[in-house]
Amino acid sequence: MIRDIGIGIVGGGVAGWMAALALVRALPGIRVSLIETEGPDWSLGPFGPAEASLPDFPAWLGDHGVDEGALLRAARGSFSLGTAVSGWAAREADWFLPFGTIGAPLAGIAFHQLAARIRETGRALRLADFSLAAVAAAAGRFARPSPDPRSILSSYGYGLHLDRAGLAAALRAASGLEPAGEFNRAIVDGAVTAVELRDGSRVVADLWLDCSGPAALLASRLDQGWEDWSAWLPCDRVVETWIQMEGVPPPHAHAGAFEAGWQRTVPLVGGQGGALFHAAALLPDQPGAIPLAQGRRAAAWTGNVVALGAAAVLVEPLHGWNLALLANALARLIGLLPAAPGGPEPAEYSRLAAAEADSVRDFAILHYKTNGRTGEAYWDAARAMPVPEALRRKLDLHASRGRVPLEDGELLGADDWIAALDGQGVRPRRYDALADAMAEPRLLDHAERVRTLILDAVRAMPHHGATLRAEGLIA
Amino acid sequence: MLAARILVVGGGTAGWMTAAALAHKLAGTPARIMLVESAEIGTVGVGEATIPHIRHFNATLGIDEADFLAATRGTYKLGIEFVDWGRKGDSYIHPFAEFGAPIGGVPFHQQWCAARGEAGPFEAYSLPIQAARRGRFRRPDGDPYNYAYQFDAGLYAKFLRGYSEARGVVRREGKVIDVARDGESGFVRSVTLEGGEVLEADLFVDCSGFRGLLIEQALHAGYEEWTHWLPCDRAIALPCANVGPIAPLTRATAQDAGWTWRIPLQHRTGNGHVYASGFTSDEEALRTLLGAIAAPPMADPNRLRFVAGKRRRQWVGNVVAIGLSSGFLEPLESTSIHLIQLAIGRLLDLFPTRDWDPLDAAEFNRLMALEYERVRDFLILHYHCTERDDSEFWRHCRTMRLPDSLAYKLALFRERGVVVQYREGTFLEPSWLAVYLGQHVTPRRCDPRAGGAGAAAAMAAMRAGIAATAEAMPAHEAALGMPA
Repeated sequence: MIRDIGIGIVGGGVAGWMAALALVRALPGIRVSLIETEGPDWSLGPFGPAEASLPDFPAWLGDHGVDEGALLRAARGSFSLGTAVSGWAAREADWFLPFGTIGAPLAGIAFHQLAARIRETGRALRLADFSLAAVAAAAGRFARPSPDPRSILSSYGYGLHLDRAGLAAALRAASGLEPAGEFNRAIVDGAVTAVELRDGSRVVADLWLDCSGPAALLASRLDQGWEDWSAWLPCDRVVETWIQMEGVPPPHAHAGAFEAGWQRTVPLVGGQGGALFHAAALLPDQPGAIPLAQGRRAAAWTGNVVALGAAAVLVEPLHGWNLALLANALARLIGLLPAAPGGPEPAEYSRLAAAEADSVRDFAILHYKTNGRTGEAYWDAARAMPVPEALRRKLDLHASRGRVPLEDGELLGADDWIAALDGQGVRPRRYDALADAMAEPRLLDHAERVRTLILDAVRAMPHHGATLRAEGLIA
Repeated sequence: MLAARILVVGGGTAGWMTAAALAHKLAGTPARIMLVESAEIGTVGVGEATIPHIRHFNATLGIDEADFLAATRGTYKLGIEFVDWGRKGDSYIHPFAEFGAPIGGVPFHQQWCAARGEAGPFEAYSLPIQAARRGRFRRPDGDPYNYAYQFDAGLYAKFLRGYSEARGVVRREGKVIDVARDGESGFVRSVTLEGGEVLEADLFVDCSGFRGLLIEQALHAGYEEWTHWLPCDRAIALPCANVGPIAPLTRATAQDAGWTWRIPLQHRTGNGHVYASGFTSDEEALRTLLGAIAAPPMADPNRLRFVAGKRRRQWVGNVVAIGLSSGFLEPLESTSIHLIQLAIGRLLDLFPTRDWDPLDAAEFNRLMALEYERVRDFLILHYHCTERDDSEFWRHCRTMRLPDSLAYKLALFRERGVVVQYREGTFLEPSWLAVYLGQHVTPRRCDPRAGGAGAAAAMAAMRAGIAATAEAMPAHEAALGMPA
């Protein structure tokens, strides 16, 4: 007997259940079924047992009826104000990518341009010192931001750190669906004609969402090809890690580089999830090493299959962008459903997905291309590599005068690029010519005022532990 | 060090907007700004309609709205009314606002399309359109709409001249008869005026109009023609007296071989006819215009010729073209002043230093090209999406091959009501919706989430609220402080 399940989702991890929840809520009249696959949940990538989000995720949860407090409790959750990035700019140097603004413009001139002029006067300056999120993270403090746009407490957002299994379970519960069975194999004839379950039964669907992770059980069968990014992102192995830890987790994630790659750390209550990204050539035979083929599917939507999560794009999570990529993909998909046979929807979907994935790829490559670990072969080679055209233009324009041009559909904002470039120690040749119009005392006074406001606000902020306790997340 | 000696070549709207903005933004720097213009050379500035970005320009310069309106005899503008475009007898308005509001997380236009005519006209969901239809205006007070102005561009230039001169801009009267270039770099070193005076500068801003005195005549930047998509190549401008209430609207009426504009100012109405010489004669075009104006002409017809397109490079060496020297797109969507403003903003963002990093020019040219192309596509949409079959001109427009960028956008909207979004670009989703739906481009299918009992009630409430709010607004003349 063949069952028609409407929209079929293959993969029961975070990606599959997030897709299920989004579809159930957006398209109540459409039948959605989820088919589980065996093995660990690598639906967003084999990046460790904990997920880190960007600041848009709390709002996504709210829009989809997931109670944030309950989720945090169920998934050992804690809050995040950004990522600490150490060992990249130089072996001993670190910087911070905050979830929030850095400084404030003066007379229409961007803060980083003002900062460049302040540096010109011989004063040292770190951009992170002018970001409330960065200063609070360094001080181990956290409180939710203020909705009042006049308050400096509105100048940042927060992400979540969540246990992967706990997150998947919460998304599943919110979707109200039960798995329709276990995946055995796909029957493909130009398109996916049916999926056979372990019990031997077959199901058909109008559209299949492949949330099965890097295996891409459906999408790889209709292959339009995989764009290989290994020339730019040299880590080709990853080891998932978990370290049991007591005490209050820091309110930020960590990306720490070493001779042969980098270690991701996502602190949870009771431990740290992580992943060790490395190159097999330099660090062979690591126990538990999982092969990693970074890249993206040439066309994320092909025929009746849409690849989502790591089935569509596999890129090392230097910052917590996996959930954001997936949430954006789902919103785009829902905005284009149902597709007409032969209609323009798959091409438009794939075009947008590719633009966003490539922008994230470039942001990741930036960390390698501008690294300051001289004398280490792996990193010297990364510094010397040619980079994709769009990134080249960003680097050139930034070098010229501290500007970063954004393309359509980029995930990260200009502020993120500026923070990363500056943190990596990349200094433009010139700054904005108009910054010269500013009298030096006015400039210094402005910077001082911003700094004072931030320090006062952080001093008044509770410690992360106190907030976690107040919300019942730690004892 | 910034390029401190700046010479703006040409007065008019572009020249004085540039001088005023540079004088304001470069105050306190070593910059010295000079503008040379000749009273002998006329400017093109006619009754000019704008889009809301002009408000930002004025606000940045610290210009008070009341002073500005008084000086330019300006009126408020809530949108453009397009008459006879999709079909003869049609009228729709492109406002500066979103239509409706999302219902149940579904974009409003999808809800409206799903209702298949049960939800009244699309324009019932736009407060500025409802106000404009009633001849009313109120400045938005937290309301989700925007507005622009219609004003006498010649008076605006004069107003900005006063502003600029008060801030140290030096004006020279005279005709440029020679341009001297550096033999090695090719940069423009100086221009010579008729009287023999030589003006040197680091940066030259070419605001000399169509001919592109520096950018084209001296530096041969080249011109990319778009006449195969935008065949209109001539215009006649003709003011007349105001008749009846002053509409807070610009009107663009499709004619047999082009379109006529009507721009109401406080003291008169600007009229004009943009037409394609390949499809009609100058005499016929004048007859069409005379037939379209509401009162006898107040002046002799002012005839203009142009070629749709843009300068291949708008910044070459140390010359930046702003205004008509940079390209021409017909004023169907009131973009002329906006393109001037954008160029000024980008010049300030990329303001050159004396080492003349070529990346500044390259980035300026990339951004301006993108902007021109996106405005171009939006204009072509008006011509192409028509059911008119009553003249050779319209048959040509209906059947012409579109730029790929536009064909793609149109296909997605036709199929599924999706408006392709982009980061840089003047016209956002509501603008595209206004024209698509105003010209009968109906999506084949809608968002499956649309509909449901709640949707109809929510839409009825929106409609009623908008009508009541529009009804309560004062008349446009009252908002201008004029006798009704």
